[in-house]
Amino acid sequence: MNWRKLRVFVLTVLVLCLIPATRYYQIDVPLMRYLKGSRTVDPLSLHLAGEFVENNLGTEQGADGSVTVRMIAQQYLFVPHCILVPAGVPVHLRITSADAVHSLAFNGTIYNVKVLPGTISEARLQFSSPGEFKTVCREFCGAGHYAMRSALKVVPRDQFPVLRSGERGNCEAR
Amino acid sequence: MRPDRRQGFQGWSSPWLLALAVVVTAGSLMLVASDSRPEQIPSYVSWTPETIAAASAGDAFRGMLLAKRCEHCHGAEGFSDKSTTPNLAGMDRLAIWKELEDFRSHKRESRTMQPIAASLSSRDLADVVAYYAKLPVFTDLQDNRSFPQPRPDPSHAGMASHLISFGDGGRGIPPCQSCHGPVAYHIGVPSLANQNGDYVLGQLEAFANRNRANDINMPMRTISTLLTDEERYALAEYYGSGLGLEPGSNR
Repeated sequence: MNWRKLRVFVLTVLVLCLIPATRYYQIDVPLMRYLKGSRTVDPLSLHLAGEFVENNLGTEQGADGSVTVRMIAQQYLFVPHCILVPAGVPVHLRITSADAVHSLAFNGTIYNVKVLPGTISEARLQFSSPGEFKTVCREFCGAGHYAMRSALKVVPRDQFPVLRSGERGNCEAR
Repeated sequence: MRPDRRQGFQGWSSPWLLALAVVVTAGSLMLVASDSRPEQIPSYVSWTPETIAAASAGDAFRGMLLAKRCEHCHGAEGFSDKSTTPNLAGMDRLAIWKELEDFRSHKRESRTMQPIAASLSSRDLADVVAYYAKLPVFTDLQDNRSFPQPRPDPSHAGMASHLISFGDGGRGIPPCQSCHGPVAYHIGVPSLANQNGDYVLGQLEAFANRNRANDINMPMRTISTLLTDEERYALAEYYGSGLGLEPGSNR
């Protein structure tokens, strides 16, 4: 038996196994923060004060045209349930969890953002063309995990409504 | 000899300059205030360990005496005779406690319940929810209760049972039982198995119309908007007929 050949073969297989892991853009900075114990938000009182109060959720348009999306992931919903962003504009996503560990993935894109209670996960996204993407949770979070889906709607830049300061955009029925 | 440092500030003593300074300060404060909008707070309840300990530390016997006031509407055994009034028997104590707390802080609208909740002390609240949590759930008609209603037709029951067990992944509706039981519970969420149908329907519609907005982080406002009118009605019929107490009976 040629042990050297076997060793090379096993190592190659292991390295090949790692390739699918690079397919998704995993943002593990919040995980590191969480493990270090530096919690930046209190998951139990998101609704009382701070950035994630319910009238601050959704798409915010800055004075310079930049776009910030704030979301909450909770068992078993993303709030707001449908996000509206303009195409071709850098989107700053800020998301936190109210209970368990979730993972926000936009199906058909490379983005997959890990969401942990107590920390704010940030990501810079950009969608080149208009379209509608399914938003799913990719981290098992409990009994209703598989139904934890929502939508992301990318509209052309000229169709995106001009939001005043204090106004938040999303594509919910109400 | 001390140098007169105040000489440079002589101008400030002029009343006109003082008035100008006051106006500028007030104006800038008002600008800052108008820029930051008031926060929309659904409920002042936050499920910290202290809150849970305070809400769970009630005395059920004292609660029984206090609950004499509730009998007229909610029934002597926690089952109401009007189907639009909620049944309280056997309900999770944190769930009733949160609603009473929201009635007290006017975060949930009710002309009847707001003054009643306001007249109770924090200790009374914990006691009365401890009593209702201990009441047994019997499905037979023991007094003049409206629960359970007659069974719905099978198509409605099937639709509701599917939503309760599996939800609708395509539209992003989680299964009801992943929070409302019997499979899994979320903190402060009421069990619906022995709830009156008309009450369930009324609350689903109120959430969808934003007439009720005291759900923390908006889960029910989101889900009830996603449900169709027929689905809301089917769910209310299912729970109101007691099928939720015997899951699996209508699959």
